[in-house]
Amino acid sequence: MRTSTRALALSGAAVLLLIVAALSLTLGNRETEPERMLAVLMGEGDQFMEQVLAARWPRTVMGAAVGAALAVSGILIQSVMRNPLGEPGLLGVTMGASASVVTASAVFGAAGGFAVVGAAMPGAVLAVTAVYLLGSRSGSRSVIPLILAGAVVSAVLGAYVQAMILARPEVFDSYRHWVVGSLAGARFETLWAVLPALLLGLLLALASVGGLNALALGEDLAAGLGVKVRRLRLMALAAATLLAAAATAAVGPIAFVGLAVPHLVRALVGSDHRWQLPLALILGAALLLVADVAARIVARPEELMVGVVTAFVGAPFLLAAVRKGKVRG
Amino acid sequence: MSTLDTTAVGTTAAGTTTTEATAERPIHGARVFRWGERVRLPWRVRSGWVLAGLTALIVGLGLATLAWGPMGAGPRDLLAALRGEAEATTLFVLERLRGPRVLAAVGAGVALGLAGALFQCVTRNPLGSPDVIGLGAGAGAGVAVSTLLWPGMVPAPVGAVLGAGLAVAVVWWSTGMGFASPARVIITGIGVFAMATAVTHYVVAVALRDSAHDLAAYLVGSLGTRNMGHVLIIAVSLAVLIPLVFLISRRLLLMDLGDELAQSLGARATATRTWAILLAVLLAAAAVSVAGPVAFVALTAPHIARKLTRAPGPNLTVSAAVGAFILVSADLLVQQMPGLDGLPVGIVTAGAGGLYLGYLLLLEFRRTSGQT
Repeated sequence: MRTSTRALALSGAAVLLLIVAALSLTLGNRETEPERMLAVLMGEGDQFMEQVLAARWPRTVMGAAVGAALAVSGILIQSVMRNPLGEPGLLGVTMGASASVVTASAVFGAAGGFAVVGAAMPGAVLAVTAVYLLGSRSGSRSVIPLILAGAVVSAVLGAYVQAMILARPEVFDSYRHWVVGSLAGARFETLWAVLPALLLGLLLALASVGGLNALALGEDLAAGLGVKVRRLRLMALAAATLLAAAATAAVGPIAFVGLAVPHLVRALVGSDHRWQLPLALILGAALLLVADVAARIVARPEELMVGVVTAFVGAPFLLAAVRKGKVRG
Repeated sequence: MSTLDTTAVGTTAAGTTTTEATAERPIHGARVFRWGERVRLPWRVRSGWVLAGLTALIVGLGLATLAWGPMGAGPRDLLAALRGEAEATTLFVLERLRGPRVLAAVGAGVALGLAGALFQCVTRNPLGSPDVIGLGAGAGAGVAVSTLLWPGMVPAPVGAVLGAGLAVAVVWWSTGMGFASPARVIITGIGVFAMATAVTHYVVAVALRDSAHDLAAYLVGSLGTRNMGHVLIIAVSLAVLIPLVFLISRRLLLMDLGDELAQSLGARATATRTWAILLAVLLAAAAVSVAGPVAFVALTAPHIARKLTRAPGPNLTVSAAVGAFILVSADLLVQQMPGLDGLPVGIVTAGAGGLYLGYLLLLEFRRTSGQT
C-alpha cells in the first residue's frame, strides 16, 4: 500500500465530507430550494431560511462528531479484540449508555448537557463489563459468545428503555427519537457537554496507535517489542467506550457505523493504524451525515431517525462480512 | 439440556447437545400412540403430567385474565354467558375485550413454542430460533408494510409470511452455508433483525407519524385491541399446521440421532428439515400476524420444556404449552401489574426472556471458568 494511495484516500474522504456537510445544510424534509439556502449562506436572504440554517448548523456539526467518534470506537474495538465484528453497538456499549441516561432522566427529570454524559458513562461501562463477563470463555478464540452476550444484554436493556419511555410519557416526550438515535434535536449545548469526553477518547486512541500496530503482529511479538499488552488493551477499550458512550449520550444509540466504517477504512488504507484513525474519523463523519440527509428525505414530509438509516445501510456490511467467511465457527 | 451448549456455538461441529440427551436412546422409555398407518406419536408419562399441569395453569391464568380488575367477568358471568343469560357489559368484555385477547395469547404462544421447537431441532442448535435469525422481526416488518404502507394489497398474515420468508432466505444466503454454522446464523440474524426493525420504523414513521405507542406495538409485539378476527386467523393457522407438524414429528425425533442414522431409519433428513423450517416459518408468521414480533418466546419455550420433561427430542407438545403459558402470563402482567400496566407484552417477554438467556450464558461461563 503506497503512501500516495493512502493520501489520495484521505484527501478524497475529506472532500466527500465537505460536500456532504454542504448537503446537510441545504437539504431538509421540506422541499426548500437550495438556491434560497445558498443565498442565505452568501449573507442575503430571508428570515425563515436563516432560522432553518440556524437549526441545521448544530445538527451537521453534531452528526460529524458522532459519526467520527463511533467509527474510531469501532476501529479500536476491532483491533483490540482482533475481531472484524466488534462494534460498540454489538457489545452493548450504546444500549448500556441509553439505559443509564433514561434511568437518570426518570429519577432526576430530563436533564441536559453535562448531566447526560455523566449519566451515560456508568451504564456503558457496566454494560460492557456484563457483556465481557457473560461472553468471555476461557480458551475460546471464538467471537460468538461475546456477540451473543452483547445481543442478550442489549435486548434486556432495550426492553427496559422502551418500558421506561412508554410508562412515563411526560418525562420522555423528547426522548422518543433518542431511542433509536436521531440528530433532529441536536443543539450546540449538548455538543459542548460531550466534547471533553470525545476529545479525551480521541487522545487515548491516538496514544494507542503504535501499540495497536504492534499488536496486529500478535501478542507475543508485541510484548517482545516492549508493548505492555494489557495496559494497551485497557487504554484502547477505555477510549472506545468513552467515544461510543459520549456519542450515544448526545444523540442516542446509532448502530453499525462503528462496524461498517472500519471495513471500508481497511480496504482503502490497509492495516496501519496511523492511517486508519484519521480516515475513520473523516469517513465516519461523512457516513453519518449522508445517513442523516437520507433520513430527512426518504420519508418526506416525516423525518426518519438517523439510526434507522444506519441500521438499514450498515447491516448488509455485517452480512457481507459473514458471507465472505470472516467469522470463525 | 441443562446448560447452553456453547461448544455447539463455537468451533466444533454442532452435534446433539448434551450428555443427557445422548445417554438415553430417544425412543426408549416412550410409549407410542398409533393411529392408522402414518401417525405414530411417541409420548412419555412424565411429559403427559407436565402437559396436564401446564394446561391447568394456562386455563387458570386465562380465567384470571377474564376475571381480574374492575371490568372483570368472573366464572359465574362466564357460565351465564355460555347459557346466553349474561348482561350486555359482561358480554362486551368477554367477546370484544378480554376474550379475544386471551385466546390470541394462547394461540400465538402455541405457535411460537412449536416454531421454536421445530427450529432448534432442525438446526441442532439451542439458539437456532426464530428470534435469533430475525424471523419474527421480518414477519413484523411484513405485517407493518401490508397493514400500514399498502393497506389492502395483501392481508396481514400473508405479509407476515412473506416478511418471515424473506428474513430466513437472507440469513440462509448470507451465511454461505445454510444453517450449518450456529455462529454465522447468530451474527447474520442480528443483521437481519436490525434491517427488519429499520423497515418497521420507516413504515410507522411514514404512516402513523411516529406515535410512540403504536411504534412500540409494531416493534415488540402487543396483544392490545385484539378482536375475534385475530383469533380466527391464529385458530385456522393452527388447525392447518399442527396436523402437519405431527406428521413429521416422528422423523424429527430420529433427526436427534444424527443425519446418517436418521436416514438409515427412514427419516429423509433433508426433506424433513425443509418441511420443519417451512412449518416453523408459517407458524411464527401466524403468531406475529396476531401478536406482533414478540421476542424470545420461541427461543425459551423449548429450553424450559426440555428442563421440565427431561426428555430428548423436540418436545413439541410441551414446548407449545410452555409458549402459551409464557405469553398468557406475560399478557396478564401487562394488564394487571402496577408499573407494567399498559406496556406492550413484547417488552415483558424481551426483558424476561433476555434475562433467562443471560442466566443460561452465565451458567455456561461458570462451567467453563471452573475448568482451566
